[in-house]
Amino acid sequence: MNSTNGSSGNKPRISFHEFYDDDFTPREHYRPLWDHIRATGQNSLEVKAHESQLALQTEGVTFTVYGESDEGIERIWPFDLIPRIITAAEWVKIESGLKQRVRALNLFLNDLYTDQKIIKDGVIPPELIYQGKDFRREIMGITPPQGIYTHISGIDLIRAEDGEYLILEDNLRTPSGVSYMIENRVIERRIMPEFFDKYRVRRVDHYPALLLDALRALSPRGKDNAEVVVLTPGVYNSAYFEHTFLAKEMGVELAEGRDLVVINDIVYLKTTTGLQRVDVIYRRIDDDFLDPLIFRSDSTLGIAGVINAWRAGNVALVNAPGSGIADDKAVYPYVPDIIRYYLGQQPILKNVPTFQMTNQKDREYVFDNMERMVIKAVSESGGYGMLMGPSSTPQLRREFVDKVLENPRNYIAQPVVYLSRHICYMDGELEARHLDLRPFVIYGEDIQVVPGGLTRVALRKGSLVVNSSQGGGSKDTWVLSE
Amino acid sequence: MRYHIEHETILEFVHPVREHHTELRLTPREDLNQKLHSSIIETDPPGKLGHYLDYYGNRVDYFCVIQPHSRLVTRLIADVEPLRANPFDFTPVPPSEQKEWYRKQLKEEPSLNDYHLHRSSVVPPILKLTAEIHRALPRHTPESPVMSTLLALMEWIPTVLEYRPGATEVHADLLEAVRKGGGVCQDFANLFISVVRSWGIPARYVMGYQAPELAATTGTSQVATHAWAEVLVPGGGWIGFDATHNLLANDRYIPVAVGRDSYDAAPQRGSFKGDDPGNQPVVNISIGCQ
Repeated sequence: MNSTNGSSGNKPRISFHEFYDDDFTPREHYRPLWDHIRATGQNSLEVKAHESQLALQTEGVTFTVYGESDEGIERIWPFDLIPRIITAAEWVKIESGLKQRVRALNLFLNDLYTDQKIIKDGVIPPELIYQGKDFRREIMGITPPQGIYTHISGIDLIRAEDGEYLILEDNLRTPSGVSYMIENRVIERRIMPEFFDKYRVRRVDHYPALLLDALRALSPRGKDNAEVVVLTPGVYNSAYFEHTFLAKEMGVELAEGRDLVVINDIVYLKTTTGLQRVDVIYRRIDDDFLDPLIFRSDSTLGIAGVINAWRAGNVALVNAPGSGIADDKAVYPYVPDIIRYYLGQQPILKNVPTFQMTNQKDREYVFDNMERMVIKAVSESGGYGMLMGPSSTPQLRREFVDKVLENPRNYIAQPVVYLSRHICYMDGELEARHLDLRPFVIYGEDIQVVPGGLTRVALRKGSLVVNSSQGGGSKDTWVLSE
Repeated sequence: MRYHIEHETILEFVHPVREHHTELRLTPREDLNQKLHSSIIETDPPGKLGHYLDYYGNRVDYFCVIQPHSRLVTRLIADVEPLRANPFDFTPVPPSEQKEWYRKQLKEEPSLNDYHLHRSSVVPPILKLTAEIHRALPRHTPESPVMSTLLALMEWIPTVLEYRPGATEVHADLLEAVRKGGGVCQDFANLFISVVRSWGIPARYVMGYQAPELAATTGTSQVATHAWAEVLVPGGGWIGFDATHNLLANDRYIPVAVGRDSYDAAPQRGSFKGDDPGNQPVVNISIGCQ
């Protein structure tokens, strides 16, 4: 194991309750909210729940789920009325921990694609990088502006049984969910304006402005002369709602690969009035599909020649190609070492303890304790390619043993962490459900963490899986000012 | 010996294509073992050429043709001089120090790890092949000099593969050639590389030319590109092994591009818009002496 456990060993494994303390009384920062709910009664909640559903429907806040069939199903974004509240003191730690982590991960990426000092110094084993699917040799030696790779990061946090915030995973490629963070706030404000009376909640709706500012700052022709586009794979992508949302909020074009063309290392948007030069591409397409000339030649989603335009310094790609190696789940156990190596600091936020399947001892331990483990494929996300030990069948466990043995580099395992719980309004009752938190970090001229994030809720009782693709819901997330 | 090389590729389309981007890895490598006296690339339709050195040290020339076209011609004209007359001409590291030599090289240059870790369908792990290879694999022990093991391996390859022109396509799975018991130069190189990598020794794929036997010193010959392997040899650096001909690469070999496998070192890569998948490219290569 490469990291230390955040929770002490002998405590009973009862998940942390965000809302109630150990005596089952609401925690102090939840009391005004609780008093209000009690005063107005549950009937009022029922009406509000209905109103919020209608509002989401009218606004067209949706996401797409892909199941057995290839055709996605568009669903209304599931939203729970009761906000999650994070105190100012808690946020100070989260914010500084995330800034530290994102700073270190960007130094790591810059090093990997240039001198590789961290490998030469023996901190990171070379196999980890050279056998990683997302290490992009094609961009070796190219340094993006200011050496920043991940302008937008979504870092998933959970709370351990003792309430300590832990990092569950880093999302550094095309993290999604920020539009739902904003929409949740819009709905909450509209439906429950009285909730806000007793609290000083920090705003999150300026995210598109922060993002646009960071994107414009990357323009090779200067900030005041920056043509920005959002590049989407198209309507069939599960996050298409978000792509249109961000383009609209920032007031920039939403483009697909076929709308753009590279001519002699300059990217242009095809418009009805002719070609228009593009300076910054906020791409929501994976590296594999970004440029058929360089990466997958069968990709019809990307822009041929865009990597050469990027190398020539004529366009900014956000996030930079190659960022995925830093959120590879097999690299994750090394992030605490990465922070120490580049910053000379102890990590402010800890990792979840992680077993590496390439290590025989770790592997055997995991196989002996599979019912208590989560096994994850290193380059999958969204809850796919994962074994949840407690709810798994013996057959599924056997299948995972075979998969791990076939390609140990491709898997990691973590002891199941019983995610913290929060009350949710479910079909007329207030019930506890597990949740996590994805704050968003923008790395522009400096690093900013938007005070809030996307709180994802496992809607099924007892479930620990919060991914919206796997039946998760969400809550508005309040960070209180001092 | 200096060689004059012309390498022309003609792509033809029944229906015109557009927004056609091309990358060429045609400019011969330039290093201590090869001097590039001159090199030029011409295209028709004409395009503005850009270039860069890729991760493997290959020079990449690229250009685009935006307007509809039904024919694309690229041509390299180069004057090149391979210098390594005798590939054995180096001081080998004593066998007892070989292991340490590799360790040091890999530590100082981590990217070398690619050349022993990389696996793909064209260079699969040797374990995937052993079921189809009905003879004992050559072995390498730390005590034996790397050079002699590699020479023994080169002798072994023809016992598994027979040279059969047209037996496999470019980028074919090595397993296919091993099953058939026959292949072309790429398969010979890939099998060689696959075995060397199973020993943890860095080996890479080379695309280039083998100078033909020339009738006269001023003669010119029609040839094709050739493929062989290079292995990092203690004391000698990258040494070329042509398993197809059971020869070490000397100054009659002209390396153009290297990589982990044939994909990395492909001479031409393109992407265009249009409904026409294109015909098989016509490639004309001539090599003459100067």
